[in-house]
Amino acid sequence: MREEVKRILGIAIPLIIICIISGAALTATYGLTEERIEAVEQQKINESLSTIFLGASFTEMDDYYIATVSGEEIGYAFIAEGTGYGGTIRTMVGMYPNGTISGVSIISQSETPGLGTRIAEPDFTNQFSGKRIEGVRLRRDGGVIDAITGATISSRAITDIVRERAEVVMNETR
Amino acid sequence: MKLDELTKGVFKQNPIFYLVLGLCPTLAVSTRVDNALGMSLGVFFVLVCSNVIISLFKHRIPPQVRIPCFIVIIASFVTIVDLFMHGYAPELHERLGIYLPLIVVNCIILGRAEAFASKKSVFDSFLDAVGMSIGFMLAIVGIALCRETLSSGKIAIFDYTIVPTFTQSPSVMMTLPPGAFLTIAVIMAMIKYKAIRKEGR
Repeated sequence: MREEVKRILGIAIPLIIICIISGAALTATYGLTEERIEAVEQQKINESLSTIFLGASFTEMDDYYIATVSGEEIGYAFIAEGTGYGGTIRTMVGMYPNGTISGVSIISQSETPGLGTRIAEPDFTNQFSGKRIEGVRLRRDGGVIDAITGATISSRAITDIVRERAEVVMNETR
Repeated sequence: MKLDELTKGVFKQNPIFYLVLGLCPTLAVSTRVDNALGMSLGVFFVLVCSNVIISLFKHRIPPQVRIPCFIVIIASFVTIVDLFMHGYAPELHERLGIYLPLIVVNCIILGRAEAFASKKSVFDSFLDAVGMSIGFMLAIVGIALCRETLSSGKIAIFDYTIVPTFTQSPSVMMTLPPGAFLTIAVIMAMIKYKAIRKEGR
């Protein structure tokens, strides 16, 4: 019996020690990089905010931003995310109070390189500017957005993500 | 012969073309040359560190649980790379995406730990890891060169244009998985052809 316990501990203890050391090393690395990673993520958000409302300043609300130009409220910005073809698509969306999209910018996506990744190109995202949220669907689904050839699923995903989130924010801000 | 441990990974036992290990990241990330370079860098760090650490502790790791031990060690180094790249090279981190954390399951790394580092001396394991990483880099960058040229009609590494645009109608297929399989197959066939010719057959 004692022999058996000894044998099992002899196997288990080295593994436990390795796990503890690894855990400690990862905690240390996380602590070292945490601030930096947060800054990187925040910068991505700031960059996309400034592309959809040029020259505006932003006040953060619960789950959206209010864009103001010299004290006057001009619209709302919010993050819309959902599942695309290859993973999560995260977008920053700007919307005027009347329900018109001011602009869409992709924060992160992992679509198929060369096909789905073209949703991040201005040729595609510029289509959203000035469209009513009801119209943010692909043309074949009765909307006004042209899909990217060969990337219908990615194109449809982003229109759905933007429209659904925009409707929610529209209701919240009303 | 020490140098042999280094050079074997580059040519004679090239992980991609001879051992045919680590094909998943090779297929996925060889769409662009700069992605391939970033991936190679990650693999280099993880492979060298894990090989050295595993070789250092090879007598302390019980054989019954060696695979879990290897994986914990490898996964830790991968997470370290992932965190640092996220903080200091966010653009590259973004483009490598899910394939960066997936270095954990890159068969080259576990393969070298199991087949080499757990048996040989620390220094030999270090040389082996460096050689294998260089071999991996040559292979994946070579494949990426073919694919990026054919799929985008130009090559730009970190915004420096290496090959200017030479066609307006590149082949989209080369950026998709079939393009990767085709490229690997053609290169592998050429290597085998040369080897057979050398034998005088």
